[in-house]
Amino acid sequence: MIVPTPMSTRGEELTRMREDLRRALKKPVEQRRWVMVINTKRCTGCYACVVACMAENGSPPGVAYRRVGEVESGEYPQVARTFMPTNCMHCENPPCMKAAPLGAITRRPDGIVALHYGKLKGKEIFERVSKACPYNAFSFDDGRFYSQGTPAPQLYEKAPTFEYEKAWVRTTGALPIGTARKCHFCLHRLNAGMLPACVTTCDGGVMFFGDLNDPESLVSKLLRTHQSITMQAALKTGPRVYYLVDDTQAADSLKACLACHR
Amino acid sequence: MKSERETSNGGQAWWLDRRSFLKTGAFLGGSALFAGQLQRVMEMMGTAESQALAADFAYPLARPENILYSVCLQCNTGCGIKAKIVDGVVVKIDGNPFDPMNLTPHLPYKTSPFDTATYDAILCPKGQAGLQTAYDPYRIVKVLKRAGKRGENKWVSIPFDQAVKEIVEGGVLFKNVPGEETRKVEGLKDLWALRDPKLAKALAEDAKAVQSKKVTVAEFKAKHAEHLGLLIDPEHPDLGPRNNQFVFAWGRLKAGRGDLISRFTREAFGSVNAHGHTTVCQGSLYFSGKAMSEQYKEGKWTGGAKFYWQADTGNSEFIIFVGASPLEGNYGPPLRIPKITEGLTSGRLRIAVVDPRFSKTASKAWRWLPNKPGTEGALALGLIRWVLDQQRYDARFLANANKAAAKADGEPTWTNATWLVKLEKDGTPGAFLRAKDLGLSEKDLFVVLKDGKPLAVDPYDEASAVEGDLFVTTELAGIKVKSGLQLLRESANAHTIEGWAEIAGVSPRDVVDLAQEFTSHGKKAAADIHRGVSQHTNGYYNVVSWYSLNLLIGNYDWKGGMIKATTYNAAGAREGQPFPIGTLMPGKMAPFGISVIRHDMKYEETTLFAGYPAKRPWFPLSSDIYQEIVPSIGDAYPYPVKALFLYMGSPVYALPAGHTNIPILADVEKIPLVVANDILIGETSMYADYIFPDLSYLERWEFHGSHPSVAPKIQPVRQPVIAPIPETVTVFGEKMPISLEALLLAVAERLGLPGFGPDGFGPGQPFTRPEDLYLRMVANVAFGDKSGDEVPDASDEEVKLFLNSRRHLPKTVFDAGRWERTVGSALWRKAIYVLNRGGRFQDHEKSYDSEKVANKYGTLINLYQEKTAKTKNAMTGKPFPGLARYIPAPLDSLGRPIEDSGYDLRLITFREISHTKSRTVADYWLLHLLPENSVIINESDAKRLGLKDGEAVKVVSATNPEGLWDLGNGRKRPMVGKLRVIQGIRPGVVAFSLGHGHWAYGASDVVVDGKVIKGDPRRSKGIHANAAMRVDPVLKNTCLSDLTGGSAVFYDTQVKLVKA
Repeated sequence: MIVPTPMSTRGEELTRMREDLRRALKKPVEQRRWVMVINTKRCTGCYACVVACMAENGSPPGVAYRRVGEVESGEYPQVARTFMPTNCMHCENPPCMKAAPLGAITRRPDGIVALHYGKLKGKEIFERVSKACPYNAFSFDDGRFYSQGTPAPQLYEKAPTFEYEKAWVRTTGALPIGTARKCHFCLHRLNAGMLPACVTTCDGGVMFFGDLNDPESLVSKLLRTHQSITMQAALKTGPRVYYLVDDTQAADSLKACLACHR
Repeated sequence: MKSERETSNGGQAWWLDRRSFLKTGAFLGGSALFAGQLQRVMEMMGTAESQALAADFAYPLARPENILYSVCLQCNTGCGIKAKIVDGVVVKIDGNPFDPMNLTPHLPYKTSPFDTATYDAILCPKGQAGLQTAYDPYRIVKVLKRAGKRGENKWVSIPFDQAVKEIVEGGVLFKNVPGEETRKVEGLKDLWALRDPKLAKALAEDAKAVQSKKVTVAEFKAKHAEHLGLLIDPEHPDLGPRNNQFVFAWGRLKAGRGDLISRFTREAFGSVNAHGHTTVCQGSLYFSGKAMSEQYKEGKWTGGAKFYWQADTGNSEFIIFVGASPLEGNYGPPLRIPKITEGLTSGRLRIAVVDPRFSKTASKAWRWLPNKPGTEGALALGLIRWVLDQQRYDARFLANANKAAAKADGEPTWTNATWLVKLEKDGTPGAFLRAKDLGLSEKDLFVVLKDGKPLAVDPYDEASAVEGDLFVTTELAGIKVKSGLQLLRESANAHTIEGWAEIAGVSPRDVVDLAQEFTSHGKKAAADIHRGVSQHTNGYYNVVSWYSLNLLIGNYDWKGGMIKATTYNAAGAREGQPFPIGTLMPGKMAPFGISVIRHDMKYEETTLFAGYPAKRPWFPLSSDIYQEIVPSIGDAYPYPVKALFLYMGSPVYALPAGHTNIPILADVEKIPLVVANDILIGETSMYADYIFPDLSYLERWEFHGSHPSVAPKIQPVRQPVIAPIPETVTVFGEKMPISLEALLLAVAERLGLPGFGPDGFGPGQPFTRPEDLYLRMVANVAFGDKSGDEVPDASDEEVKLFLNSRRHLPKTVFDAGRWERTVGSALWRKAIYVLNRGGRFQDHEKSYDSEKVANKYGTLINLYQEKTAKTKNAMTGKPFPGLARYIPAPLDSLGRPIEDSGYDLRLITFREISHTKSRTVADYWLLHLLPENSVIINESDAKRLGLKDGEAVKVVSATNPEGLWDLGNGRKRPMVGKLRVIQGIRPGVVAFSLGHGHWAYGASDVVVDGKVIKGDPRRSKGIHANAAMRVDPVLKNTCLSDLTGGSAVFYDTQVKLVKA
């Protein structure tokens, strides 16, 4: 017997998380503790988050900060499909940081693991940090464009993107071409009082975001009232992305994933 | 009309290096990307970096002046969007938090757009990728004229004015094309034969008199001797005027453009042939809704709405999704997914899914029933049988025979379940018993039996409640009668529950469990159905069966039950609205005659009646029969067509067996003139004589309306958010981008059609620009459906924001001064209020009225359809059954079963959430998710057939044994895809997702102005296997159809897979 756990509508959740975020922004940055909470039971494998992220961050072919794994298990007709969204875990103890040149990857006071593109140039560095990351969070920007090879280059690929609160225009051949890239919790949106793009666009209401230092925030409440795990906790990387796993909120089939990834 | 030639720097190799990005690039049609408006955009963009890099960084996409609210069109749902613009370029699209399609509950309408700038709501991946549809390198910007044979994909770009002139005047238009050196094309001026509305009315009335045999053909000819030349065929005056030989067919169309096309085709040009695409999507769903909503007025069943119901997803406790996957399609994603997932995690909701494929929706279900395709109605009747046998129905609701009885029970709707139906001699249910038949009343009333006594029923009587006995079989005054509910019971009793389960290929236990659960939540349960139910030869009766199940629990208009869409009227049809578009039309024609798809008319009542079978089917109960448009033209039945306009539709790609359309479209004798309006050269527009570039959904207007699962009353408004990409032309002295509007206005100008021009909406009321229509419609929405319903005035700040956020739009699409004059100063600030929010949206709390929805259907629902039962199938001569029943599928158009033995797999299609049918292949972000689709079968079938995951297989069928698309001109494309072997599909079924496997739409090379424009191989990956779908063996040039509800049949074809 499943004991229903009250959850609210997505409109209420998005409004509340936006308020949580704005409350956190009033505090000094070092008092914020940004976390992401993922409820896989709600994930429908819609991939809106993947595309929203690509559009928001102008990620070119070969680059995606966000993935949604999809697995079919069981045998007809007892079949299950599991959807598993992942991105950078923003570890408290990030292995990538250690693998990178000094100052190329830093942990911000609010917990975001930030890339400094200027110091991350080159495939060799990418391979090093990517190998160090147990979560496969990195991709390499090799300078391609989606409208390459077509009759006309397209304006959206020329337009600036705003990662780390700077304008980046790749069509001039400049950064972040030639660097490692990954999720930054949409830092530029957070500081503008906006939730990350994957959170706002999420069709299933899977994604939660907020300040874990604030006991009133929705993410704090979710983590207080539900069991959760972090991925590959044994590695002691201290991810700040949590997955709800109790019976009421985890996909039943999540166990298939957890068999290997717990 | 004057065309502006723009300087061209096209034709160069582009992408020379990254630094040249800004300097090169050619659109199809020889025009330059960076000419005109776009040059300005690019200049502005040069300064963006320096601004953004300033020390006090402010995220530009969080600023209200960089945001415009509009409506998506990546699929037909039309969710609200926030388009975020940097220096004139849309760089990001998010969900509109004002719109209930994007958020539950949505933000109150009074919320300031300054506050919502940082509030993004939900959107699906297609919506997120939409800017790649607007910024598509294969878009055309100039008119293309065919320079080779139809379909050969050789084009020249020509000035807009020349193209319009050629279409209107006709002549030897293709003298450079081999074989057409002397072919003379009749222009639209020749087809616009009947021009006098008064004469039209007289001819229409007399043609009708010929049909009803009050007048002979000879008498008609004598009376109208002078005007016989205006008719298609004086021997058959009911075919109507030659104007009907002009056909306008569309794909995705909403109000606004819909009003324009109707005004142009029907009311100005006077052709009855304006037809949409409903039947390729879910026709039998809409037309069973129409039949069930017909109302009895003045002795006739009339006014049935072409609509359907869906579950009030956010409040239901149990939903059975049948052939519907709201997690992937089904007008679902942002509207319904959050309501479903919230319900699943809060414990409010449980869902069951009936689908041969283990869809994403099924993956969230409490119970998955992988039924045999085409047996959906059988399953419904199994559930109905259990509900009736176990007496789990809402007897109180079903007993209500009229409005007063419903009112007394607090029920918004009532049914005719208890009305008595007369049996024909052979026992077939026919017409309702009338009170007159028993001498109960002189009035035209129906009859129920109450405690054994007949009572007269006025369905709409609000004062005296009439209830009836539910199950009646009796004889009254010598007439054998049964109640509607009794007839339903007999339909359900055709098999035992085990028998129904066996037909459907599911376990009887599941049937009982579903029925038990369905009847355990009061009114908060719903059976929610879509294409998987309707796109069969038995689609109509499948739908009616599921809707009847809903009727048994009386869940219509109840919170958590079945609800309908409700919109603010944009056409000004409600009393007091400022601009009644339909009547603001001097010289309006009332077109008449039999349509080319023979809809809304009974074969027997026409002069074409020549016994059964008719040459092709007739569709007296449905309309917009997409699969009949081109094939009927091919057979010249009921008459030849001279000119076909195609708008935003791709029948060749989208229809089942769409390949049958190709040889007809390619045949200049069968259709002398084909004009397409498209944003690029698609699978169907490639066969056109002329392609006029259109605006993408980010550059234009439309009033998208709503969907049944949305409880609040809404009217989302699509509006231009970026500068137009096609070139600028002059029509009626006004500068505007080439577009559907420019094309129709220019044709109207050249022909002098009524309802267009300086006095198009009345003296001094011009219709010379697109906005002349659309802003009037915005004003209607702002005014509301009655006096006192107006939106507030925009504040001074909001007015400033309105202007500032459109600072990047050129005068060709935005002119505040003219806009204000069009709307009128009284409504101008209200119109701004609407446009600043992307439409008008009723507040969430106003959309429910305690335990019911506020926007009610609120009238009679026909469990028994008298009108249907009294209508005959033109192929068989037999009446259509008037209620739920199971008819095995597939049947051909003569009603004979199709076996196709030796073809061992049933073909079905589905939708990945990342694609719609024919247009999302242009979106590279979506191709990142799924570069190509697959041919999907169960592992047990793969083993049986010796096929391995990942290998290439060809799909072949009895009517396409070679498994090919024959594109004409020697081009063929095999239907080959990669096999994917999974567990989550019923053995014996093979599936592919729609949207991949293109051969046009930028996928193949085309020649424009002598230069080869290379196709993009990313767009041709994967398989599109519609050409394997069964061709009707009688008609031979179209797919199978449901002759009652009109659906084009997708899911009734047996195929086999062969190693490619």
